[in-house]
Amino acid sequence: MIEIRNLHKSFGSLEVLKGVDLSLEKGKVLVIIGPSGSGKTTLLRCLNLLETPDAGSLKLGETELNFDNGRKPAKPQVLKLRQNTGMVFQSYNLFPHKTAIENVMEAQVVVQKKHKEEARKRSAALLAKVGLTGKEDSYPHQLSGGQQQRVGIARALATDPQVMLFDEPTSALDPELVGEVLKVMKDLAAEGMTMVVVTHEMKFAAEAADTVVLMDGGQILEQGPPEQVLRNPSSERAAQFLNLLTEKEV
Amino acid sequence: MDDRKIQILIDSLWPMVKAALQFTIPLALISFILGMVLAVFVALVRIWKVPVLSQIADFYVWVIRGTPLLVQLFIIFFGLPSIGIEFDPFPAAIIGFTLNMGAYNSEIVRAAIQSISNGQWEAAYSLGMTRGQALRRIVLPQAARVSVPPLSNSFISLVKDTSLAYTITVVEMFQVSKQITATTYEPLLLYCEVAVLYLVICTVLNALQNVMEKRLSRFSTR
Repeated sequence: MIEIRNLHKSFGSLEVLKGVDLSLEKGKVLVIIGPSGSGKTTLLRCLNLLETPDAGSLKLGETELNFDNGRKPAKPQVLKLRQNTGMVFQSYNLFPHKTAIENVMEAQVVVQKKHKEEARKRSAALLAKVGLTGKEDSYPHQLSGGQQQRVGIARALATDPQVMLFDEPTSALDPELVGEVLKVMKDLAAEGMTMVVVTHEMKFAAEAADTVVLMDGGQILEQGPPEQVLRNPSSERAAQFLNLLTEKEV
Repeated sequence: MDDRKIQILIDSLWPMVKAALQFTIPLALISFILGMVLAVFVALVRIWKVPVLSQIADFYVWVIRGTPLLVQLFIIFFGLPSIGIEFDPFPAAIIGFTLNMGAYNSEIVRAAIQSISNGQWEAAYSLGMTRGQALRRIVLPQAARVSVPPLSNSFISLVKDTSLAYTITVVEMFQVSKQITATTYEPLLLYCEVAVLYLVICTVLNALQNVMEKRLSRFSTR
């Protein structure tokens, strides 16, 4: 489903991704962990081209893009790739001038040109799926953080993406609200959704991931099944980072 | 106040109101609407740094903001005919006020658009929207709410500035008060009367602003 080869990305003189290779099969869950500044969010944002890589190649579904020699993807390809992915943001980024159901309807109506009533039906079903029946007509500011993020997930699901991208979806949440969002994500994973998740939630990584990737300094440090990467990391640096996390949790 | 003065006040009221309906209000409305179209265009061209167009836009805003409105009106109405471009008074006034509004309001629109967080654009893009769709559906509606107070300010200024159109022979409300003064020799009375009429118009606009702000505040931006 996803194939990344030798992906590079710099912001000015700062090299954030130093050649990343990664692949993910359909229906699998990839969790990316790592210290802040390790490039994990940039990597995720390259997958739907919110950032354009400087070099390397990216294959997602049927879309194949090559960025070598400063090549930039054509607009229709960018739009197509983005329609095939759904993204959930750390700060939700819901549209504040639209109700919960209008947030979920938006892409169906504007991008997919669906009829409004059809979009409304599907959106109500999606909101039900994330446990928000009854909140259809609430504006984002009337919802708790956890509810907002679940609307965010429903919105990202609305266009039937092949891959869901999560950018630290629980980092902005109060601790007691984290669980409800993780539960929705686990349900999605169990249904066979292909997911790439950047997170600091080690428990989620351990329970839901098929593969865990540990990034550091713009490179992949460790990659493998969760029990291997989280319990028996092969490098000193990885062990150090994981220790830090466990200490914080205790 | 004697009967004669009261009679002058009453007699002059309708000619002034008529001038307001015929010239002052249409002049302000048309110039504001056309000016807003120009303002959004100029703001976008400058935000997106469109080559050539953004330099032209920078120059335009610089010139209009750096020169008096009165001078601009004189150039359009009295100056341009000498190179063969002639306008009737009313269209000349519309052009002058539109250019003025376009420049000032483009700064308001630009600030309002830039006040919308980048995350809104990114959320729209991540759903597969084009830049135009993201702008129309997501960013502009939010920017509109932010810009209601400053744009109302600018519209109210415009209503009052239309009085300058008398200098290029538009018979708007202030010109009518001048004409009546010339025959009745009651400047204090008539200029106070016309001032009250401007005040009434601006008070109505203020009330409209409040209604719009209420309507647009169903959601909060943060």
